Amino acid sequence: MKMKGAKAVHYESGPNMTPLVDVVMVILIFLMLAGQFGGAEHFLASNIPLSKGGVGPDNSPASIDEPIEIRVDSPSPDRFTARAGVINATDGPTLTKGLTRLRAVMAEQLKAKGKSASDIQVKISPGRNVKFEHVIAVFEAANAASFEKIGFTKAR
Amino acid sequence: MGKHHIPEAHGGHPNVTPLIDVVMVLIVFFMLVAKIGVSTGADPKIQIPSSILGSEIKDMGNVLYLNVTPMSKDSDTPIVTAMVKNSTTGNSEITELKLDGDAKSQLVASLKFYRFGKDLVKGGDAADNDNFQVVIRGDKEMRFAALQPVLEACAYANVKAVNFNTAKVTEAAPAAAP
Repeated sequence: MKMKGAKAVHYESGPNMTPLVDVVMVILIFLMLAGQFGGAEHFLASNIPLSKGGVGPDNSPASIDEPIEIRVDSPSPDRFTARAGVINATDGPTLTKGLTRLRAVMAEQLKAKGKSASDIQVKISPGRNVKFEHVIAVFEAANAASFEKIGFTKAR
Repeated sequence: MGKHHIPEAHGGHPNVTPLIDVVMVLIVFFMLVAKIGVSTGADPKIQIPSSILGSEIKDMGNVLYLNVTPMSKDSDTPIVTAMVKNSTTGNSEITELKLDGDAKSQLVASLKFYRFGKDLVKGGDAADNDNFQVVIRGDKEMRFAALQPVLEACAYANVKAVNFNTAKVTEAAPAAAP
């Protein structure tokens, strides 16, 4: 029996898009699988990775203007203590607060001498057993306190 | 005035135009954002420390990734790998760079090559690369004693910018008051 109207609704209105969609989908899947994306990573930059008398050769170009030494120790593998003058912190946020106050005080003193707070050089002095992640936490705290020159000394 | 009727969809054929529009936008997005066939030499297996602060490096073409892991869990001897040019083939490949703890180690020589050119000498015949940067991708469990020789090598090679690769973390929400 002949079906009436089966072809009545189908009329040509343009080119056949099916091959285009096939190719485009293949390209899309390839790009999604092959591409490398930035991911959730970033960088903590140190323009003075070495400090005179610390890590590196003695003729290092780093200045030693107005140094602050942060001594980092690790009483247990999962903890660290950071001391700089009167500051004694066991976590990043506390250390950041202390360093921010210290920087403000030093900035006032340096201003009176005609110097800038950017002359302050932070020397992070970790113990041999301090984990890299704790060193980075201290480095980040110094960064957060707006210090511009942050370096390391040899392991104690 | 006659009424305008939206024509019936072509029977049995869905309208693929919106699909193609969306897919084309996605393709353009992926082509712009994705880095295909580009390897920085970063070892994805290394568990890097995390930080809230951090910045991006604009000129990634002038950067050498140093993958630093300790030889064993409590070892102070690091293993450093990086994607450096093979002197015989000329191709870049992941290579272990030996560290002897002095200014003549393989790592220092490689860093000097990128920093000062073929002559490895500051201000020599080859042009110096003042914008050369090092990215240290270190194991978060590694002890500082293992990292120290790498920093020393950077110092010997007069590398001016050292960046520490960290994982982004968002700031933790403050704890609720009791």
